[in-house]
Amino acid sequence: MSEASSMSLPSAALFALIARLADNKYLLGRRYAEWCSSAPTLEASVAAAAMAQDELGHARALYPLLRTLAPEAGVAIGAEIEPETRTHFTAMRALEQPFADWPAFVAANLLIDSALTQIFVAAQASRYEPLAGRSRKVLQEERTHALYAEGWARRLAHEGGAIHAATEAALRRFWDETLCWFGPTSQAGEADVSDPLASAGVLDATPDELRLHFLAAVGPTLTAAGLALPLRRVAQTNDTTAESDAWELTAPLPWDRWDAATYHLRAAPEAETAPVAPAGASVQ
Amino acid sequence: MTNKTKQMKPAAKPAAKPAPTNVTPAKLHARLAPERVWLVLARQAYDQPLRQVGTVEADDGEMAGVYARSIYDEFAWVEMAVIPRDALRTVIAS
Repeated sequence: MSEASSMSLPSAALFALIARLADNKYLLGRRYAEWCSSAPTLEASVAAAAMAQDELGHARALYPLLRTLAPEAGVAIGAEIEPETRTHFTAMRALEQPFADWPAFVAANLLIDSALTQIFVAAQASRYEPLAGRSRKVLQEERTHALYAEGWARRLAHEGGAIHAATEAALRRFWDETLCWFGPTSQAGEADVSDPLASAGVLDATPDELRLHFLAAVGPTLTAAGLALPLRRVAQTNDTTAESDAWELTAPLPWDRWDAATYHLRAAPEAETAPVAPAGASVQ
Repeated sequence: MTNKTKQMKPAAKPAAKPAPTNVTPAKLHARLAPERVWLVLARQAYDQPLRQVGTVEADDGEMAGVYARSIYDEFAWVEMAVIPRDALRTVIAS
């Protein structure tokens, strides 16, 4: 029996994980639904409606887990754990307001939806079986969402001019919060003890590893589209000496604005972000 | 070749569409309208032939597939395919 399998599940951390997954799925679904009749094309509108249904369905599948986890997590069973009456959402700031424009929709689709997906990827073999089972089903549907996001990001970037600039700006507005949302970065060598979900086998990756998985998921699309985000490709050699791609951030994340209790990134003092070099510059 | 012909300027390339300054759905609609139509074929059982169930407009096959899945989801298809309409070769036209 491995060390992780002999540990008890971290009830409070698990409750918080399910809550923030469900809340972000719920609000992402609401935001998608607001574009189900006003996307640039009829087909895109219908697909947005279908994605909204998917996201709301994922949230509906997760919320009941809160009731079963609440007693051990020390959370009172009441209106706040029922999806119909919940009012305090632990969701990203980016989802609290309707998307300002279509590039913002595409940016959320590419970044936030992909970030949520990385958690489900890491939970497919979770020791918490209710999450593992749901993760496998969620990932089947999320493949379509990723294709949609990648296709629209390419399309908007290809237009150039103001549309390219608006898309890049929308991506940068969501970038820091999405990257921070995986959880606080750990000190070197302390990953196993500092992250209760990874060390207990709820997820098979630490927050830092999830961030790298996320960068590997969105990096190729951003690079191919020429969208300037602070990340770059790095070549690495694995055990079989085959060269593969990994990605890394080229700018630090604003941890001073990160609230670990609410998984919220406080607003920046100034809205403008410093320009960055185009994504994808390869380094050895 | 006459002098007049020599002096003719080559046909000017069509001017690129100016980028809109305000990215609203209404402005994007005309600018981003896909130019390719895809036929959507599907069947509900393996002993049935694929038949056309509709069309979608999309820039590429991947997006056409995403759109087809979303729009024509009324049955539990065992197979669905998309094919660009301009790939068809007309054999009989009345």
